[in-house]
Amino acid sequence: MGVRTRKAASGLFMLILTFSIVAAGCSNNGNNEGGSSPASQSPGASSAEANSSDTKVEPFTISLFTAATGPIPTDDNKIYKEIKEQLGVTLKEEYLVGDIEQKLGVMIAGGDYPDMITANTKLTAAKAVIPLEDLIEQNAPNLKKHFGKVWEQLKDPADGHIYWLPNYGVYQGDFKPTDYMGPAFYIQKAILKENGYPKIQTLDEYFKLIEDYAAKYPEIDGQPTIGFSSLAFDWRDWGLRNAPQHLAGHPNDGGVLVDPNTNVATLYSATDTAKPYYNKLSEINAKGLMDKEAFAQNYDQYLAKLSSGRVLGMFDQRWNFGQAHDSLVSQGKFERTYVGFPLVYDVNTKDYYLDRPPINLGNGFGITVNAEDPVKIIKFIDTMLSEKWQKRLNWGEEGVDYLVGDNGLYYRTPEMRTQQEDVTWKQKYKAESLWGYLPKLEGNYPDGNADGPGNQPDEFFANLKDIDKELLTAYGFKTWTDFFSTPPENRVSYPAWNIDLIEGSPAKVANQKMKDLDFKYLPKAILSQPDKFEEVWAEYVAQMGKVDTQAYLDRVNEQLKWRADAWTSK
Amino acid sequence: MQTTIRKFKTEPFLFHTLNFLFMIFVAIVTLYPFLNTLAISFNSGLDTTRGGIYVWPREWTLKNYEAVFASGKVYHAFWVSVARTVIGTVVSVFLTAMLAYTISRKEYMFRKPVTLIFILTMYFSAGLIPSYFLIKDLNLLNTFLVYILFPGAGAGLISAFNMLVVRTYIHTLPESLNESAKIDGASDFRVFFSIILPMCTPVIATISLFTAVGQWNTWFDTFIFASSRQELSTLQYELMRLLSSSVNSNANPSLSSTAAKDTATMITPLSIRAAITMVAFVPILVVYPFLQRHFVSGLQLGSVKE
Amino acid sequence: MPQHNIHKVEIAPRSAPRTEAFWRKMVRQRQLIIMSFPMVAYVLLFAYGPLWGWLMAFQDFKPMTGASIFEQKWVGLDQFKFLFMDEGFIRVLRNTIAMSFISLILGFVTAIGLALLLNEIKKTGFKRLIQTISYLPHFLSWVIVTGLVSMALSTEGGIVNIVLMKLHIINEPILWLGEGKYFWGIVGLTNVWKEVGWNTIIYLAAIASVDPSLYEAAEVDGAGRYRKIWNITLPGIRPIIVILLIMNVGWILNGGGFDIQYFLGNGQVLDWSETIDIFVLKYGLKLGNYSLGVAAGIFKTVVSIILLYCANLIAKRLGEERLI
Repeated sequence: MGVRTRKAASGLFMLILTFSIVAAGCSNNGNNEGGSSPASQSPGASSAEANSSDTKVEPFTISLFTAATGPIPTDDNKIYKEIKEQLGVTLKEEYLVGDIEQKLGVMIAGGDYPDMITANTKLTAAKAVIPLEDLIEQNAPNLKKHFGKVWEQLKDPADGHIYWLPNYGVYQGDFKPTDYMGPAFYIQKAILKENGYPKIQTLDEYFKLIEDYAAKYPEIDGQPTIGFSSLAFDWRDWGLRNAPQHLAGHPNDGGVLVDPNTNVATLYSATDTAKPYYNKLSEINAKGLMDKEAFAQNYDQYLAKLSSGRVLGMFDQRWNFGQAHDSLVSQGKFERTYVGFPLVYDVNTKDYYLDRPPINLGNGFGITVNAEDPVKIIKFIDTMLSEKWQKRLNWGEEGVDYLVGDNGLYYRTPEMRTQQEDVTWKQKYKAESLWGYLPKLEGNYPDGNADGPGNQPDEFFANLKDIDKELLTAYGFKTWTDFFSTPPENRVSYPAWNIDLIEGSPAKVANQKMKDLDFKYLPKAILSQPDKFEEVWAEYVAQMGKVDTQAYLDRVNEQLKWRADAWTSK
Repeated sequence: MQTTIRKFKTEPFLFHTLNFLFMIFVAIVTLYPFLNTLAISFNSGLDTTRGGIYVWPREWTLKNYEAVFASGKVYHAFWVSVARTVIGTVVSVFLTAMLAYTISRKEYMFRKPVTLIFILTMYFSAGLIPSYFLIKDLNLLNTFLVYILFPGAGAGLISAFNMLVVRTYIHTLPESLNESAKIDGASDFRVFFSIILPMCTPVIATISLFTAVGQWNTWFDTFIFASSRQELSTLQYELMRLLSSSVNSNANPSLSSTAAKDTATMITPLSIRAAITMVAFVPILVVYPFLQRHFVSGLQLGSVKE
Repeated sequence: MPQHNIHKVEIAPRSAPRTEAFWRKMVRQRQLIIMSFPMVAYVLLFAYGPLWGWLMAFQDFKPMTGASIFEQKWVGLDQFKFLFMDEGFIRVLRNTIAMSFISLILGFVTAIGLALLLNEIKKTGFKRLIQTISYLPHFLSWVIVTGLVSMALSTEGGIVNIVLMKLHIINEPILWLGEGKYFWGIVGLTNVWKEVGWNTIIYLAAIASVDPSLYEAAEVDGAGRYRKIWNITLPGIRPIIVILLIMNVGWILNGGGFDIQYFLGNGQVLDWSETIDIFVLKYGLKLGNYSLGVAAGIFKTVVSIILLYCANLIAKRLGEERLI
């Protein structure tokens, strides 16, 4: 018995010892890492001269909570150090790790807010954030100027106060993106090349190309060719649900079509607007061109298929398959990358895929009731919106991240571009997760440079491959957005997808039920034999009839009307 | 004797061969997901996107691991995890075993109510918000103690499940031990410490493993109760944070469309998840054999003679 | 036990000696009390204390800065009505129970079987190696495991379809994850794959406690391997098997996991994959309705306790080890 006790004890001892050894090894590295970062040197003199133009702020700590949308900065991150040295602001950041609903739930219940927080309707409803309009008027000239045009749109539909500073959607100068990141029917460049760069406007033309190409090349790189794929995984549902509204010539309003003249929303799910598209997919499936597991696969599987270069086309948003695109490029399979086309049901319909980015109040920062000195915080955000800081955050540091050409335009060397791909480097030298949430200047700076490297025309052209140049020349275009009609000014109430349906309301429940029905019946309709299509469709329509869709439509229409009234009054 | 030996000779051989082959099969099947994850963790993220990685990396890289260790925050977090695992396990296993002993004693007058009180905790959950208020009211928010006390994934002070496992084990021990000790006039404390506890080594090893793994793997309590103090951050929490930042930056339309679109992502959520899994797992792999011998050695250890 | 009760009833009127006996007993068992009561106090505070949160089930709870729970809107049984009146509820309940049941049975049989076979291996090194390898998948997250399952079952080059086609069992790839009838089985097998090794640990520990002299005696009697397993090993671990079974019966409304259905499920198999927990996530938390989850939790607890009581009663009748 004594022996056994000793054994147990020695086991425990070994356990602790092993932990210690492993940990010691790691922690030594840790110390070295930490040691190499210059200890807190007095910022005094150096910072004073560095920021003569900026409003000097006393040493001040701002706590903030966001979901990190980029590499998490290291403790010795250069940008954070500059912010501290030049503005006196120490940022104490907390990033979302688990479920946002849970975290916000306890945060609100306990009233334990940081100073700045990511936008969420739950927080507005809980009175967790303070009105910003007076703060901006009195302390923040940059913000005032920036949001001047859209001031009314920032106001909360319920009480007319401004609570959130949206991070995107305010443009300086012309709206001229080079890359297209939105929804479209994508098709491999190789197919276009094979067919002499034909014009594609309708589903028939699009699927004809795919059909012929698949017949000619049943295998690509030794694997069976997949004609058309898409995705309906978790929240990434647009691949299945959104195509009909675009085919009908409407912009992305989420689950509804909005008549631009009357500003009234109608559903298109389970209607004759949607039916021809799914019927077409069912035909495609009968020809063996549809990826049968499109709506049963997960995101990684989808990306893997696209990256293998054997998927000829899909309906998706470009940013959603960015990883697959990058992978194809890195494999050198440039002709397998995709071009998006704005297909419509009827050639006389003008396509409306490309839209002017709307203001999205569901994103960005607000200041909470717990902030002790909101003035200092708004001043900090205001400073970050200055051209100097915008360039620092978006372009980086001159000489390190970009160079200035003779014409005053910024550019990057190939080495600089490669550097930007390194996550560990970004952790030390970029502040993407902070940058993602701050209000930003979009479009062009007064000096003619684009907001960031991604939109600099020269940078864009420098990154084009041979097949891209050939393709663009053949179509007579300069950029990828030229494939799409120039969008008109946004309808005042646009877009309907960011309408707050109100937590737990019948409208929100109906929305979820509609989604469930789409997920269940649409794949079934597509994968059924063509002669069964009508039957499945009828059942789908019948089930949809049981959902309280009116509650959903009422809420959407009420808000559309409110927007039209409130946002045009000035 | 002679005949019986001959009779059983072919049977054990056949059995052992089949058993051996079956075990090899089990090993291959269960090893695969692990090797696959290992391979992905050493493979370039962008290349992994193509799929087709099985048990060997195609494009070797250490980038995924570099990304995990670059922030430098994981080193301190590792120590916090070690501390909470060691302290939490020792305290919880000891208290659970002691409690199990009391309810294993048939004559204990509060045996039934005490057992019931603990059993029920396995079948209800009060919900997050009330628990949060409790922790807040006890001033345990952002303290190390919350890791030891909160009865969440890490089990808290007592795990009812483990308690029942130990109690059942004690029941299988010969009753005579208990009685003889009692006749000697030993107190309950002494019976527990010097007779029951030493004989429970296999089951103690088992629940130690369960508790330690629970403590080591949980990140939820840090997320809810201690996320605003960096010095209390645990390894799993840091890893989860890295992962969600990687997932988010690949899932945020606005970010992907402007800020990050000119830079390809060399590290994908898939690859970082693989690296994270390995980093979190290595300590368990190292420690496990020390516990394992207590419950796999079978007969030698189960001996209750003497 | 029954005699004890009768005894109690008899002496009930004479309360003075009874309380005296009670106190005397307490004094005699003071050490046991000291060894258990602090933990009881702990669990009452930490596990039972927050139970006031169940009031939320009868409210339309919205987190509000600085507001107490009594300032919330009371809605009576609305949350329960939403849950039970939903036309899909029976289906969701069926899925939950079916997947729990399948995972439970498969999990028990495979883990006990593997533990017994591992125990028969004579080479300690090999035994430990296999045991270590078999528990590895337990440490992979469900995202990884379900990702591998999806990959293996893919119609586009998934290993399962390839092998079945090579063996001419099927002529064209089967969309395993797109047809509801396969879903429960996939969930059950995936659970086994991930957890079988881990689940053997508890049985191996139990086997380790079996008195070796019993085996020696059996060998003298000329008992073979299977008789020893049947007559000695299995009875030796029967108490723990029974206890684990009873405990698991109480978890039947958990659906055999959450992540597994969440990641493997898709619209096409919704009618087979949706469990109570997933329903609550979709129509509760994701829509900002905190109360629905609490209501579902109460429902699950009530069902659990009833099932536990029944299972315990059966175990008692059969003379097996039981919870209480």
